Amino acid sequence: MDTSSPTVFVNPELLPMYVGRKVRAVVQVTQSDGEIKTGKSTDERQLIIKGLPQVPLMTHVGVIGIAESEQSLHAETWTNFGNTFDTQSYNQVCQLANGEFKGLFL
Amino acid sequence: MYGSQFDGGAAFSGGGFMPSQTTQAADPSFSSSKNREIQSLLPLTVKQIKEAFLLSDDKSNFTIDGVDVNNVTLVGMVCNRTGRITDVTFILDDGTGRIECNKWVQELVDSNEVEGILDGMYVRIHGHLKGFMGKRTLNVFSIRPITDFNEIASHFIDCIYVHLYNTRLRKLQGGVTTQQQMANSTSTPMKGSPAAPPHQFSGQYNVGQKNIEQMVLDFLQLPSSNADEKGVHCDVIARQLRVSMDKLMSSIQNLVEEGLIYSTTDDFHFKSTING
Repeated sequence: MDTSSPTVFVNPELLPMYVGRKVRAVVQVTQSDGEIKTGKSTDERQLIIKGLPQVPLMTHVGVIGIAESEQSLHAETWTNFGNTFDTQSYNQVCQLANGEFKGLFL
Repeated sequence: MYGSQFDGGAAFSGGGFMPSQTTQAADPSFSSSKNREIQSLLPLTVKQIKEAFLLSDDKSNFTIDGVDVNNVTLVGMVCNRTGRITDVTFILDDGTGRIECNKWVQELVDSNEVEGILDGMYVRIHGHLKGFMGKRTLNVFSIRPITDFNEIASHFIDCIYVHLYNTRLRKLQGGVTTQQQMANSTSTPMKGSPAAPPHQFSGQYNVGQKNIEQMVLDFLQLPSSNADEKGVHCDVIARQLRVSMDKLMSSIQNLVEEGLIYSTTDDFHFKSTING
């Protein structure tokens, strides 16, 4: 059983702590510029995702990838989470998973 | 006293996930979950499983947060799916770690279940945790793809909730029963509810007749009440619980009739029959 590389649940507020590491985030794609997608994250901030193929705008996408900088990440795998995703709950989970209940997740 | 109670054990008997013991008027969530007859389903992260404490090496008896781990439920992504004739093996990655899972395929319903499961899919798993030579694996009963992705956040919130619930229950029990544990050197489960809620919670109970009886019973089950052979004088009980003598005496009367407490040296001293 391998737990050597857990992928952290992040929102852009927490991203700076994990630059260079594998993370998971959920974004709502708002802009598409070829390979680079700009999205609105679960805490209403902007996030730049590289390496995403064409996704319909305004759908929520779960992305797993390496955090390149404080505001961007390079996607390795992605999943379409649809239109009915509750961003507020997910945002709360990110905060709890990195804060009070870090021991359960990392 | 018990006629008006909803007997959960009888109503749902046969199911493995309902409480199999009827508790008294108190909130059933305060009963000990260490009773081996109760098998609960725990939502967990892989990280929690990895850190689960193994009770004995020869059997798979894990505990997490002081609770026996039998059946678990996880949510994560399928990786390295390998299908064979009799079973399907895959790794489940939920973001906190990876665990090997195995699903036996014996009937048509099983093969239908696993047919649509592919690498990269998010799934919900129910299974039994097994340990062998230090390695922990999951024997999967049920697997289904996730269609509403809010289930992911929901599952992790569930894990946090259950973790908090169990650790708080442990603190409650630990504070009250340390003396009892020293007296009972074996770890056999005690009858009734071994963890009498401490007094700071008595404010939560409404002062109804049934609840006064419960308060009296809880008070008499405390180690301090049982220290003296004579038990406790009813004046002391009335003072401690802050109830009037009339209400107290009628509660005591009911409890004596039920056989839960008894009078000792005179009609004013009482002791509990359970932890006496």
